[in-house]
Amino acid sequence: MIRKRTQKAPEMAISERELTSMTAELDMLHKETFPGVAKTLSEFSANLAHLGSGRPTARRSFLAGVGGAVVIGSVAACSSSKSGGGSSTPAAAGTSSLPKYTGDLKIVALAAALENLAVTAYQDALTMAGKGQFGTVPPAVATFVTTAMKQHQDHAAAWNGVLQKAKLPVVTGAPLTITKDQVAMLQAAKSVPDVAKLALNLENVAADTYTFATANVSDAGGIMTAATIQPVETMHAAILSFVLGEYPVPNTFWGDSRTLKPDMLTA
Amino acid sequence: MDDILDERRFRELLVESDDMQSDAMRGTRHDLNAYVAAAQEARFESRRDLRLGGALLGAGALGAAALAFASPAAAASSQDVMALQTAAGLENLAVFTYKTALTLPFIGGSSANPVVKAFAMKTMQQHTEHGQAFNAAATKLGGKAQTATDPKYTPIVQQAAGGIKGPEDVVALAITLEDVAAETYVADIGLVSTSDLRQLFASVAGVESQHKAILLAVQALLKGGAPQLIALPPDAAMLPAAAGSVGFPDAFFPTSNAAPVAEGAVQ
Repeated sequence: MIRKRTQKAPEMAISERELTSMTAELDMLHKETFPGVAKTLSEFSANLAHLGSGRPTARRSFLAGVGGAVVIGSVAACSSSKSGGGSSTPAAAGTSSLPKYTGDLKIVALAAALENLAVTAYQDALTMAGKGQFGTVPPAVATFVTTAMKQHQDHAAAWNGVLQKAKLPVVTGAPLTITKDQVAMLQAAKSVPDVAKLALNLENVAADTYTFATANVSDAGGIMTAATIQPVETMHAAILSFVLGEYPVPNTFWGDSRTLKPDMLTA
Repeated sequence: MDDILDERRFRELLVESDDMQSDAMRGTRHDLNAYVAAAQEARFESRRDLRLGGALLGAGALGAAALAFASPAAAASSQDVMALQTAAGLENLAVFTYKTALTLPFIGGSSANPVVKAFAMKTMQQHTEHGQAFNAAATKLGGKAQTATDPKYTPIVQQAAGGIKGPEDVVALAITLEDVAAETYVADIGLVSTSDLRQLFASVAGVESQHKAILLAVQALLKGGAPQLIALPPDAAMLPAAAGSVGFPDAFFPTSNAAPVAEGAVQ
């Protein structure tokens, strides 16, 4: 029987200088990968520009939805969300009776909204942590939240760039049927594990959605954009699982049962 | 090294992990069968086109007719088979590497970190199943199973294996292999010809990237002189700040190290 640890381990043998150096290297790696993705997205945008008129495309079940409705934690789907500019307020629902986004561009808008939701969740978590609502936050957790949030911002910017080039409105906030409940769950969080579980759920949903998108988006640039973002979300999930004390790589094949359906986009 | 693992809870997590993997495999088998059926139909149509072309133009022009009526599906299927064989070769090499690592006392022995040992065993099993899935798809498409290890990286692994002195060397080697595999599968998403196959590669890429994330975190802790922090659950308060982000260095997963599609094709 391996006994539980009862005493704290000695301090880490890493200097502030080493930490700063590692952070700078991380930032450099991040900046190096973005130009390639920006190129992919430019090609994607050029191909999708002609779809800006909203011509529907016939495609496999992404538009019809998959399996049952996605349930995020204890979320019940809401039919609409209100506009707002704050980071914790769900974004505008479409006021026109005609949908602004259709076909592949609806998937792009859905992805942008989901990324914004992740940014909102992480930003609000940092704000709440700063107010002491979770007690002492481990430095590694703070670093995780800050870095993951920035990566989700980049993902959202990438998807919104496609919408801009297609002369469609960018997605601000998170106009999703799940947003209201996700925000409520975050605001009810009392501890770092509470927040980590919420974040893990969002990362899993994002990864599932991108996995499905790789098989169901028709544009090559869109496929590759989803393909290059999906692994990053699964990596976030692995680290969150590890921090929560769960086995970090439980699945041999990544599924798509938690995919967000396009009709969950309210913009 | 301190014993810091709640062994009963860890075993519970592994059982949960196996259950989740079984659920995911059901979906993947369905996807594989659907893909194979679609590709076989495409190949049938290709052969039928060739026969019709020959009958119309006469025996003397059969070669020209074959060229004129040759289906793009045939070429696509050939590339698909090569991609699957290359993937299987990478998986075979990963299995070999983890199997070799587990013979080392500091990875698989009684004094090894139990989390590292369990991770190596579980990951090896997952790679075995990846290889089986890729080979099953390749053979059903009329290709041969790839039973050898990747020709480019096998010598690299063999050379590295001869110089292994401790767990850091093993982890560094494993990171290289997981990264190559993940990058290759992300790239393959853009190369293969059917949506089912794109989803298959995405479903495996998502898992290889998780392996990489955890290995990067383990590497950081080993380099920082804190192997005792490689625990499940970890003592999050003692983790260095950089541990929160070292597992996902890129906002968009790169493909610059992807293996060429024909690298591991069976000759």
